[in-house]
Amino acid sequence: MIDVFLAGPDRLLPYLLLAAVLFSLGVVSVASRRNAVGYLMGIELMLNAANLDFVAYGRFRGAEPAAEAQVAALFVIALAAAEAAVALALVYAVFRNFRDVDLDKIRTLNGD
Amino acid sequence: MNVSALLFWPVAALTLAGAAGAAFARNLVYAALSLGACLAGVAGLYLFLQAEYVAVIQMIVYVGGILILILFGVMFSRDVLGTSSRPTVGGRVLAAAAGVAASVSTVRLALLVPGLRGTGLAEVRSPVDSWIGQISTNSPFHLGSLLLDAWLVPFLVLGVLLTVVLVAALGLVRKDAA
Repeated sequence: MIDVFLAGPDRLLPYLLLAAVLFSLGVVSVASRRNAVGYLMGIELMLNAANLDFVAYGRFRGAEPAAEAQVAALFVIALAAAEAAVALALVYAVFRNFRDVDLDKIRTLNGD
Repeated sequence: MNVSALLFWPVAALTLAGAAGAAFARNLVYAALSLGACLAGVAGLYLFLQAEYVAVIQMIVYVGGILILILFGVMFSRDVLGTSSRPTVGGRVLAAAAGVAASVSTVRLALLVPGLRGTGLAEVRSPVDSWIGQISTNSPFHLGSLLLDAWLVPFLVLGVLLTVVLVAALGLVRKDAA
């Protein structure tokens, strides 16, 4: 096990563990942030973890899987950009109506 | 141990520290800047994975685009310093439970990858030797021909989606929108 951590970039396991920790931190961020923008940061963390897994798995499977995995990663990056644009537009719309983006204070449809 | 092995762990540590800052910093500006460090670190990891093009796109789109959008979004927040909206005890417990569950399940998945189990995951080494002479399959040129050949339909759908998304974003922030 120790030599895995000494070997570093030539093994698959470090990338998978890094991606797992990144994903978990994204989940923690989404679960604990009350601010819409902080929430968005958690989602970006999770997307990055998934992307890292894509590229790492492809890399250790050979040349052609590596290229396919990189194309998939590029798609995820483009979708993340689209998602961030819509999410920030929504944050702006919410801010204009409520003067705040705290997800706990936005409860007009909630009845109180 | 070669130079890339010496550089790998600092980059990994930067990624982890940035992610931890993005998840735990109370000040939203610090959280956003930590997220930037994390995204740059992931770009560095792509370089170690010989995905240079993805690394460059990561820097341009994520660090140059999405991070700036997020920093703009932080300005809409009343409570940037996070002083008045501390998470409740229940919220903290829930977040910790979700984090533990996610890390246990993802690490377990990482250790149980089918097809790699027989060889032992720790033994999976980079196939560098078999790649000599094949490096060009990884070039942007090759990625481009993949995009316009096998992935043409998803690529076109993505283009339409981006157009729709940008028009929708403009519609959402219009002055006379409800």
